[in-house]
Amino acid sequence: MTQAEKESLDHIILRVARRLDQSPRYKTFKAKVRDLLNNPENPYKKYFDITIIFLIISSVFILIYEVKHPIPYWMEFYDIYIVSLVFLIEYLLRLWTYSDLSSEIIREYDEAVFVGREFSIWPALARGLRRKLRYMVTPAAIIDMLAIFPAYRPLRVLRIFILFRFLKLLRYTRSINQFVDVLANKRFELLTLLFLLVFVVFTGGIAIYVLEETHNPRINSLFDSLYWSLVTISTVGYGDISPVTHGGRIISMLIIVFGIAMISFATSVIVSAFSEKLDELKEERVVEEVNKSKEFLIICGYGQMTKMFFRQAEAKQYNYIILDKDPARVAEAIHDGYDAIVDDASRYTTLSRFNTEGARVTVLCMSHDDVENIYITLNAKSINPRIRVIARASSQAIVSKYQRAGADHILLPHEAASTMMSVAILRPTMYKAIHAIFTGQNVALLDEVKVYEHSILNGRRVKEIDFRAYKLLLIGVQKADGDRFVFNPDGEMLLEKGDILLVMGHKMSIAYFRESSCGVKGGCLR
Amino acid sequence: MKKHVILFGYGKFGVNVADTIHAHGAEVLLVESDRKRYKQAVEHGFEECRLMDVTRDEELETLPVKPEDQLVCVMDDDHLNVFLVLSLRALFPDNTILAISDSIHATRKLKMAGADKVIDLYAVSANRIHNILNKPVATRFLEGFVDHTHEYSFREIEIPEGSFLHGRKLEEIDFHRYGIIFVGMIDVELGNSFIFVTTGLEHKLDSGDIIVCIGHDEDLERFAEAIRQKEEPKA
Repeated sequence: MTQAEKESLDHIILRVARRLDQSPRYKTFKAKVRDLLNNPENPYKKYFDITIIFLIISSVFILIYEVKHPIPYWMEFYDIYIVSLVFLIEYLLRLWTYSDLSSEIIREYDEAVFVGREFSIWPALARGLRRKLRYMVTPAAIIDMLAIFPAYRPLRVLRIFILFRFLKLLRYTRSINQFVDVLANKRFELLTLLFLLVFVVFTGGIAIYVLEETHNPRINSLFDSLYWSLVTISTVGYGDISPVTHGGRIISMLIIVFGIAMISFATSVIVSAFSEKLDELKEERVVEEVNKSKEFLIICGYGQMTKMFFRQAEAKQYNYIILDKDPARVAEAIHDGYDAIVDDASRYTTLSRFNTEGARVTVLCMSHDDVENIYITLNAKSINPRIRVIARASSQAIVSKYQRAGADHILLPHEAASTMMSVAILRPTMYKAIHAIFTGQNVALLDEVKVYEHSILNGRRVKEIDFRAYKLLLIGVQKADGDRFVFNPDGEMLLEKGDILLVMGHKMSIAYFRESSCGVKGGCLR
Repeated sequence: MKKHVILFGYGKFGVNVADTIHAHGAEVLLVESDRKRYKQAVEHGFEECRLMDVTRDEELETLPVKPEDQLVCVMDDDHLNVFLVLSLRALFPDNTILAISDSIHATRKLKMAGADKVIDLYAVSANRIHNILNKPVATRFLEGFVDHTHEYSFREIEIPEGSFLHGRKLEEIDFHRYGIIFVGMIDVELGNSFIFVTTGLEHKLDSGDIIVCIGHDEDLERFAEAIRQKEEPKA
């Protein structure tokens, strides 16, 4: 290659890289593919996964079937070409989306121009390829690659690589991924153990080979003795090969003792790794579970108030998660049967783990510490202003601070209880009535009925609806426009979509009214 | 008729309760066992204050308790509160005893000790949260009753002698023109129990009946004034 040719090749690559780097279509396409392959939230990933899983299972089924039966040509064709081709494409796509080669080249060029150095494509290319290589040696990528191999027909032994297709399933089962993660955390201990094992197997194997090769008819090669050594050390001991000389027996006794020690060591390492990780995994599951729901509560603090909150019957209907900094309280919550995790809700990372964009999230600040509650309120509002915050405040004096922090509802437990007490003393009847209405145990439940688009209420005037026949009392209407509440509305008032009727009556009457107001289309029941 | 209340405790709840019921014209006798709080109460202008050891029955016996008085226990210390309710129940078996509880465990104990009505701090607030979550509009409306802004109120109105309401049927009366909603009646014969209109109340009104209405304060006032007349005023 002449100097001029080399130069032009460099520039051709650079030009291609630049065009790719600047093309928005290429970029969005690549991003889409990456998303499809890796993002569990992607709506199409499910179908992609199901396809791959089907290919894997059918391929393994053919492998098993083939052992005893002759298989038709189409099956073989399907197994060898179609499945492998799909896997090959998947592998290449994963490799392609793992890193950006073109931007690497562009960066190198820009740097070279900036510092006035002569531009050469190779360092950048090498760097980019090294990154790709780094992906290729990850366990998942190796398995993917091995799963393609069975397509190469001349080597029958490669058929067994179909089993690697089975291992590909690991990608799709989260629990096994977590298992691998846990083991990866104990890499040092496990590697030490493995090294020790190899060392002892070899020492024992060579020793038995030297001592018994001439005496023992079953040991014919070094491979036989290594095999015997491993079988013995693992305490499996098939007994197909057994020592016949005294020297050999002494070696096996030593190996057995060592084997027992090693197995218990390995077990304890794995068990401890799991017990360390188990809580974390459980927490992740809880968070994931709650993130799936459309509407949920994040309850900060497991104190008396939270306990009382859950004691009440309405609590059953919510999706929720309890956060508390104190592990003892979380343990108590879990003991009481609630989903709780140890975490500090005042930290950004804690609340941003939740699906605040897609779901309607309400944060309840139940701690008795105002500073903490305000901090959590601010934290929640800074992550997403859509998060609704209901906070508990200790006194009237601090309410303005909560308002400034953005809390949507502020509770004053002491004040509320004192007010209730005053009402109970001064106006016992009203207390009874309010109590009945609030708790809804009685005949006078106060409830809301929303006017939906297809509701028969939509577009009607108040006087046209015979509330008396429904055995209901219309208290007021919350108008959809302007968020204003009209008490005791005039008969002429027009009901529109989005209005909320406040009615009082028996629970059954309200349910019946809600149902019958739904109109022909139905489906507007809560 | 003025309400007589004997309030035990001038602490985190007592201050609030005392102020509110005093402002509404109830006669309050404060009892406190803590010298500092006692002084505070006197400074705040409560004329009838007693400083006494509430654990001693002989001291409690000296209180001028009349049969219709309400005994309200809002001591800060839960244990003391339970003990006090127990003593009061034994000394004054016929009086109404109300108590506040600020822990889950105390509520049951107060009831067992003999309190007629126990207000559980956490239950009230937890209820409020449920209501905010499930019925935001209803909650805002009901809060208007209890908090100090008093947007709307419940009012019990006794039908006076010679009112035009006497002998009328309920469905004949147009409450709407007064801007109020008729919610129900109080049945004196059934131990002052409350009967909601939505249960299908069919009743002829008599003088002496107590009806319950919701509305703005001034509308209720106007209505109470109007029913004194012999003839229903023309709209």
